[in-house]
Amino acid sequence: MAVAVSAPTTPAAPPRRVSARHFVRLKLRVMGNNFRGQGWRIALFVAGSLVGLWFAATGFVLFAAPGLSGEGRYALMVAAFGGGVTVLGWLLLPLVFFGVDETLDPARFALLPLPRRTLVTGLFTAALVSVPAVAVLLALLGLVVTAAALGGWSAALVAVVGVLAGLLLCVAAARAVTSAFATMLRSRRVRDLAAVLLALTAALLGPLQLVGVAALRETDWDRLSGVAEVVGWTPFGAPWTAGIDVAEGRVWAAPVKLLITALAIAALLAWWSRSLESAMVGAASAGPAPARRGATGASVAELFPRALGWVRRDRFGALVAREARYWWRDARRRANLITVAVVGIFVPVMVNLGGSGFTVGQGQGFSAPDTSSPVLVSVSMLFVGVLAAVTLANQFGFDGSAYAAHVVAGVPGQQELRARMTAFSIYVLPMLGVVSVVLAVVLGEPGWIGMMVGSLVATYGAGLAVNTFVSVLGAYSLPETSNPFALNSGAGVAKSFLTLLSMLISAVAAVPMVVAAALLGDVWLWLALPVGTAYGLGAALLGAYLAGDVLDRRQPELLATVTPRR
Amino acid sequence: MTAEHPALALRGLAKQFDGKVAVAGVDLAVPAGSFYGLLGPNGAGKTTTLSMAVGLLRPDAGAAWVLGHDVWADPVGAKQLLGVMPDGVRLFDRLSGAELLAYHGLLRGMDPAVVDQRAAELLDVLALGDAGRTLVVDYSAGMKKKIGLACALLHGPRLLVLDEPFEAVDPVSAALIRDILQRYVIGGGTVVFSSHVMEVVERLCSHVAILAAGTIKRVGTLGEVRGDRSLEQVFVEVVGGRTATGEELAWLSR
Ligand SMILES: Nc1ncnc2c1ncn2[C@@H]1O[C@H](COP(=O)(O)OP(=O)(O)O)[C@@H](O)[C@H]1O
Ligand SMILES: [Mg+2]
Repeated sequence: MAVAVSAPTTPAAPPRRVSARHFVRLKLRVMGNNFRGQGWRIALFVAGSLVGLWFAATGFVLFAAPGLSGEGRYALMVAAFGGGVTVLGWLLLPLVFFGVDETLDPARFALLPLPRRTLVTGLFTAALVSVPAVAVLLALLGLVVTAAALGGWSAALVAVVGVLAGLLLCVAAARAVTSAFATMLRSRRVRDLAAVLLALTAALLGPLQLVGVAALRETDWDRLSGVAEVVGWTPFGAPWTAGIDVAEGRVWAAPVKLLITALAIAALLAWWSRSLESAMVGAASAGPAPARRGATGASVAELFPRALGWVRRDRFGALVAREARYWWRDARRRANLITVAVVGIFVPVMVNLGGSGFTVGQGQGFSAPDTSSPVLVSVSMLFVGVLAAVTLANQFGFDGSAYAAHVVAGVPGQQELRARMTAFSIYVLPMLGVVSVVLAVVLGEPGWIGMMVGSLVATYGAGLAVNTFVSVLGAYSLPETSNPFALNSGAGVAKSFLTLLSMLISAVAAVPMVVAAALLGDVWLWLALPVGTAYGLGAALLGAYLAGDVLDRRQPELLATVTPRR
Repeated sequence: MTAEHPALALRGLAKQFDGKVAVAGVDLAVPAGSFYGLLGPNGAGKTTTLSMAVGLLRPDAGAAWVLGHDVWADPVGAKQLLGVMPDGVRLFDRLSGAELLAYHGLLRGMDPAVVDQRAAELLDVLALGDAGRTLVVDYSAGMKKKIGLACALLHGPRLLVLDEPFEAVDPVSAALIRDILQRYVIGGGTVVFSSHVMEVVERLCSHVAILAAGTIKRVGTLGEVRGDRSLEQVFVEVVGGRTATGEELAWLSR
């Protein structure tokens, strides 16, 4: 598959083949250059890698446990469920939280005479060189230990092949799904469809969890292992269970399962390759705009969306109006917003439904009695509030170099931060209200609405305060690509780490609400709304006040960090 | 008070990126009412210098004054008098032209009625009215330069700092921009702009500074710098460029 370079005047130099090796070297080089002279980036990368290693070690022990302890009957279950969850995680987590590392942006290769096949294999191989991929590989190698302990070296060999194939499957799934989803979000016509799709994927979590809970409640190992067997025949479990099958004497199953995996990988890569094409071509403009023609003359009125008629026509108002428009018009922000909306509604419903089932099913075995459900609700509200607020952790990164306009105009930091919070809250607060109502209806506890809204607002406000600081101090530049899930060169691990850290701090800042729910009992159902609102509002304003001072002092530095390097 | 102050004064501005010197101590005095061209080859440090002059990039050393206001000690005073069009910086381009102008006007604390009136006039003069509600991200390169210029002019600054205003602009738009800038200077404003296009500089500027490798090599009125030669000759001599001998790149010809 030689690359045909059309250079009629250079017969002397035959074009050399471009192989996956070149892509890997290119990626490592870009990552290395990115670290140059940026000590904190290296530190974050090392810290993130250590976290990854820790997860890898934990996973390894888990997957090796059935083999090491000689409990062979759990082997298939651990492999099918653990491996399945891993694949599911690779499928969904990039969409929800972290994005994909686009150190090698496909759009950059658009002009090179590379066959698509070379490009896909090259980018795919480069994608394997990442901390999460290595961590997952290490963790799942635990299955090899199990297979070896149960079935000797032949089973171990099959397990190695299976685990490697499974890793390829994970990475291919992550790439294909984010790329396809990005393509969809780019086009305005199907963005609603995209929202529905994300909703469905998130909703998948629900039935799965219910099935799991039901199975746990029955404590029926036969049924559970039946489910594991079925999962083992889907791409989610096939690569991981092949080695176990050999160990348990079903040698014929292994080649079939590996074939299933290979077919799944091939299908995912073909899918990715198709959406890659559109990612490369459509790279110039991230959001095709309808050229609505209209008389200009009332520019100020045009800037303010109709829903913002009440905002004053001054600097603060302009900031709010522009931010509000950007949360919808910028594909990257819109993707974040939709994700928050969908996850924010589904997760609490699932947690609370599944959670109460869990509590009932386990009876006194589970330490928390039934009456403590307000605590569980508060905890899930904490999650939603934190998730919503963490969207602002890199709010200046969304703007990129356009932030220069604010530096030139000398926008006061406190006003800027308050305006950004206000604009985002215009979208989020109604959503939080919907979450509370939906949850109250689903749980059949309308009396809890006040407490839910109170905890939500309190967590959200505290999260805003924390993330405002993070956004001023820990901003990073986002690549100017069309993929709303793209992260910039190589530092993906560091950024996920930063996100987790700010979520953690936000959660800690909101813990008083959960404690109050646990200690105050019924009084809290009434007190939560006023107290939570005051807490959230106070925290947000305090955060804007303190971080605004910092922002005033480091506007040019912030501009430099969010400007993508070319 | 502004009469005795130069429109823009730079003293000892210096900047390094990762140990690599981009600007090595630039002194400049731009008289009020002048049309000042900052000339230099690619990578000379023009963008870096102008960014430090307007408060977008913190210098390692040195200071900058706009009509007597220290840009880094009294940013509010300085920035009010200043209109800037940076290079290689995005606009808030998910807004339409009119929305973008309204945004910039309100950011500057202007009265909404004045913003409406001036925005309509600017869009009309710059022939951007036809674009209607097209988002700026979908504008052509020339249109983006023009809307950027409109944003810089909207609040009626006393000093305009423009980085490469004529880059990637078609001749018709370039003539329009030239025209507007000349009217602005005749009206008492001061323009500082960077460029590496000799013809434009020769046609427009009253004063010229040639920047190369981060230092000012020549400075003065256009006549002083040019002498009896063409500006291009002076520029190539100062910058020390090489010309192709015809030996290299033989493979380019069949
Ligand atoms: N953010 C940056 N990081 C590292 N080097 C930079 C950065 N900005 C500019 N430089 C370097 O500084 C020098 C001057 O750049 P610049 O001021 O953009 O030149 P000009 O505008 O005259 O073309 C160049 O060598 C450029 O590579
Ligand atoms: Mg430049």
